[in-house]
Amino acid sequence: MVSRRDFFMGAGAITAAVAASSVSRVSLAGLPEPVIQSSPETMAPLEPNTGRPYKPVVTLNGWTLPWRMNNGVKEFHLVAEPVVREMAPGFNAHLWGYNGQSPGPTIEVVEGDRVRIFVTNKLPEHTSIHWHGQRLPNGMDGVAGLNQRAIPAGKTYVYEFEAKRPGTFMYHPHADEMVQMAMGMMGFWVTHPRDAHPNIDEVDRDYCFLLNAYDVEPGSYTPKIMEMLDFNIWTFNSRVFPGIDPLVARKDDKVRIRVGNLTMTNHPIHLHGHEFEVTGTDGGPVPRGARWPEVTTDVAVGQMRQIEFIASDLGDWAFHCHKSHHTMNAMGHDVPTMLGVDHRKVVTQINSLIPDYMVMGERGMADMAEMQMPLPENTIPMMTGDGPFGSVEMGGMFTMLKVRADQPAGDYSDPGWYQQPEGTQAFEWTGPLQEPSRFKSEASTGKPAVEVQVRKPTGHSGH
Amino acid sequence: MNKTNTALARLGSTGVLLLTLAGCAGLAPQSSLEQVQQQSAELTGQDSLHWATEQDQPPVVRERIAELLAEPLALESAVEIALMNNPGLQARLFDLGIADAQRVQASRLPNPGFSIGRMTRGSEVEWERGLHLNLGSLIALPLTRRIADGQNAQVQREVSLSVMRLATDTRIAWYRAVAAQQSLAYSEQVLQAADAGAEMAHRMAAVGNYSALQKAREQSFYAEAALSHLQARQEQVASHERLVRLLGLWGEQTNFTLPERLPDVPAEPLDQPDIEQQAMASRLDVQAAQQGAERLATNLKLGKATRFINVLELGISNNSSNEEPVQRGYEITVELPLFDWSGARMAGNEARYMQQLQRTAEVAINARSQVRESYQAYRTAWDVAAHYRDEIVPLRKRISEENMLLYNGMFIGVFELLADAREQISTVNRYLQAQSDFWVAQSELDLVRFGPVTPSEANSASTTPASPAGGH
Repeated sequence: MVSRRDFFMGAGAITAAVAASSVSRVSLAGLPEPVIQSSPETMAPLEPNTGRPYKPVVTLNGWTLPWRMNNGVKEFHLVAEPVVREMAPGFNAHLWGYNGQSPGPTIEVVEGDRVRIFVTNKLPEHTSIHWHGQRLPNGMDGVAGLNQRAIPAGKTYVYEFEAKRPGTFMYHPHADEMVQMAMGMMGFWVTHPRDAHPNIDEVDRDYCFLLNAYDVEPGSYTPKIMEMLDFNIWTFNSRVFPGIDPLVARKDDKVRIRVGNLTMTNHPIHLHGHEFEVTGTDGGPVPRGARWPEVTTDVAVGQMRQIEFIASDLGDWAFHCHKSHHTMNAMGHDVPTMLGVDHRKVVTQINSLIPDYMVMGERGMADMAEMQMPLPENTIPMMTGDGPFGSVEMGGMFTMLKVRADQPAGDYSDPGWYQQPEGTQAFEWTGPLQEPSRFKSEASTGKPAVEVQVRKPTGHSGH
Repeated sequence: MNKTNTALARLGSTGVLLLTLAGCAGLAPQSSLEQVQQQSAELTGQDSLHWATEQDQPPVVRERIAELLAEPLALESAVEIALMNNPGLQARLFDLGIADAQRVQASRLPNPGFSIGRMTRGSEVEWERGLHLNLGSLIALPLTRRIADGQNAQVQREVSLSVMRLATDTRIAWYRAVAAQQSLAYSEQVLQAADAGAEMAHRMAAVGNYSALQKAREQSFYAEAALSHLQARQEQVASHERLVRLLGLWGEQTNFTLPERLPDVPAEPLDQPDIEQQAMASRLDVQAAQQGAERLATNLKLGKATRFINVLELGISNNSSNEEPVQRGYEITVELPLFDWSGARMAGNEARYMQQLQRTAEVAINARSQVRESYQAYRTAWDVAAHYRDEIVPLRKRISEENMLLYNGMFIGVFELLADAREQISTVNRYLQAQSDFWVAQSELDLVRFGPVTPSEANSASTTPASPAGGH
C-alpha cells in the first residue's frame, strides 16, 4: 500500500496497489494514478500545489485525495473497493470504501473548478456515485438507473461537472445503496469559496468528518447489512473512541467543524466548554442573521452541519453525540438490568458451574470499564478509553477538542493531556456538613405517601 | 441239564461283560463345571465359578464379596460377584448335576426282570421261575450312552452361555448404573443453574427490575429442571437395583459405591472384518445345533439297528413241579414285525433329523446376522460417542467460552449465560449416554461371539437378571 506522502515523493510504485485488481492496465492508461491510503491516522492538510489556492481542511482520521490538473480540469481517481478499516486499535472491520479506506478520501475543490472524477469499480457488484448536494447536470447526479447506467464491476466511469457553489458536501453510492452504505461507502466533499464570501469566514482550523453506523456482531468483521436501526458501532469517519483522534486548536483559533450524517438516525453533536454557531448546511452558508448560539446541534439523517467557534478556553473538552448509547461501543441491547440486585450466594452457585463468571451491573455498568475481562476477538469494550484521571467510560461517537496556548499553527498532533492549573479542578469536600434549613412544619419522621424501596449503596441493605 | 448250565454260564459271562461296560460311567458333575468354566472364561475373564452345594455361602466367597464391595465397585469385580453370587446362576448350575446324573443313568444296564409263577393241576404244583433281560436296550447301550453324553455336553454349553449372558448383563447393568449416577450429578448441576436463575430473577423482581412474567419464566426453568432431576434420580435408583439383583446382593451389601465415571471410549474402534468367521467357530448355539443334528443322526442309526430287535427279550426259565423233573431252558421273545415294520418310526426319525438340519442352518444364518448387526451397532455406537467427544462437546465448550466473552462485554446477560450452562451440561449428559451406549454395544458384541443377542433387548436397559431363561 502506498500513502499520499509517497505520491508526493513521486514514487512510481503507486500502481502496485492497482495491479492486483481485475481492471485491465490498458483501460487505465491515461487516467490519473489512483492514490491508495492504508493508514487510519489523521493526515496533515493537503496544501494545494496546483489549481486555485484555498485553505485545506483536515479530515478526522482521514485524508484528502490528490488530483492532477489536465488542461485546467481537476482530475481525481476514485477506486471503489473492499477495504479493511481499523475502527480502533484491535478492532478491524471488513468494509467497502474508496482508495483503501472507508470513508473514502475527502475531495477538496474550489468554487468554479471544473472537476473530472474517474470512478473505477473494483467491487463485486455494480455501483455509482451520487454527489450529494452538488448543482450539476442531471446525467452526473449518479443515481443508477435514473441518471446513468450503473458502473459494472471492473469498469471505470467518468463524472465531470463544475463545482458551482461553495460549501460542505459528501459523496456516496446510489446503486444498491442500502448495502453499499451499510458497508461504509461514502466520502466527504468540500468546495472552498473562490473569493471572500460574506457568509463564509476564514478559519484557522477546518475539520470534517462523517457520522456513520455499523452493526458488527462481536467477534465478527463484516457489518450486518440488513440492520436498520439497532446498530452497535457508532462512528466518526468509521472510527470509534478511543480510536478517534482529538481535534486540536491553538487558543483563540477560529475553528470550523463540518459534520455529515449518513447513519439512519439523527445525532445531537455536543461540544463542551464553548458555544458555537451553525454557519452552514448542505444547502450553503447560513446568513449571519439566521445563526444562533448553541452547544449542541442536531445533525439529521442525510444532513451536513458546519459549526464555528473561537477556541477560547484552554483544556481538553469533550465533543460527542449526545445520544448516550452512541458513546458506547458494541453492547447487548437485551441485557437485563442488574442494578441493585443482591448477588450473594447466587454468585457462588453460578461460579461452580461457570468458573469465570463475575458479577456485573449490580452497581451499574461502570464495572465494565473497570474489569478489563477477556472479550470476543476483534471487539473493543463498550466503555473504554482512559483519560488522565481514569477511564473515560466512553466509546463510539466521542472525542475531544484540545485547546492549548502553544499549539503551533498548522500542527494537528495530539498535545497530550491538559495540565489543569492549581485549584481549577473539582475536589472532595471534607469540611463539616451544613444542617439544611427546614420548614418548621416539616415532619422529620412522617411517612411518604408512596413507599418506594430504594437500595442505596450506604450499607442499609436490610430491607 | 448240562446244556442249560452252559447256556446260563454264557448268559452270565455276557452279563459280566455288560456290567463292565456299564461300570465305567461314574457321576462327575465337577468336571462339567470345569468345562463350563473353561468355555465361559474367554468372555467373563473370571474363574470364580463355584457350586453352592451348601445352604450357606462358604466364608471364602463371603469374604471375597465383602472385599470387592468395600472399594468402589469396578466393572470386573461386579462380574466376579455376579458369577459367585447370582442365585439364578447357582440354580442354573444344578442343571449340570442333573444332566450328569442323566448321563450316568443312561449308561447303566437295563435291570433284568424276574418272573415267578405257581400253578396247580390237581395235585400237581408247578413253579415257574424266569429271569429275563431286554437285549434290545443292551445292544443299544453304547449308542444311548453317546446320546446322553451329547446331551450332557449340550447342557454344559447352555450353562456356559448362561454364565456369559450373566456376565454381559452384569456389565451392561454396571455401565447403566454408573452412567445413571453420572447423569444424576449432571442433572443436579442443571438444577443448580436453574436455581441460580430463579433466585436471581426473584431478587431482580424484588428490586423492581423484572416483571412477574420474566420472573415466572425463569422459575419455570427451575420447575422443569426439578422434574428432570426427579427422573434422573429414579433412573439412578432403578439402574442401581438392577445391578444389585444381578449381583445377588441384599441387606448391608447393597450400599456399595460405584466409580464416578464411565471409562473413556477407546480412541479407535475395533476393526473386525473376520468377526463373522470367528463367531461361527465360537458360537455355542451353532455348535449345539450341529451336535444336535449329529445326535439325531446317531439316533437314526440306533433306530435302524434296533428296528427288528426292538423287543428282543432273553429269558431263563426254571420250571419245577412236585411231580415232574425240573424243566430248565431259555426263551427269546422277538416281536414279529408283521404289522409294524417300524417304518413310521423311522420316517418320524428321519423327519426329525431333517428338521434339525434345517434348524441348524437357521441358527447359523441367524448367528451370522446377529454378529453383523452387533458389530454394526458397536461401530455406530462408537461413531456416535466419538462424534460427541470430538465434535459436539468441544463445539459446545467453544460456544460456552464465546458466550462467556459475550457476557464479559455485556453483550448478553447472566440468564443467557445460565441457559447456555444448562445447554452445555445437557450436551455433556447426552455424550455420557452415548458413551454408555457404546459400552453396552461393546458388551453385546463380546457376547454375540458366543451366543444369540438381540441388541434392542439389551439396549432397552431393562435386561432382566440372567436367570436360567434357558434361552433356546
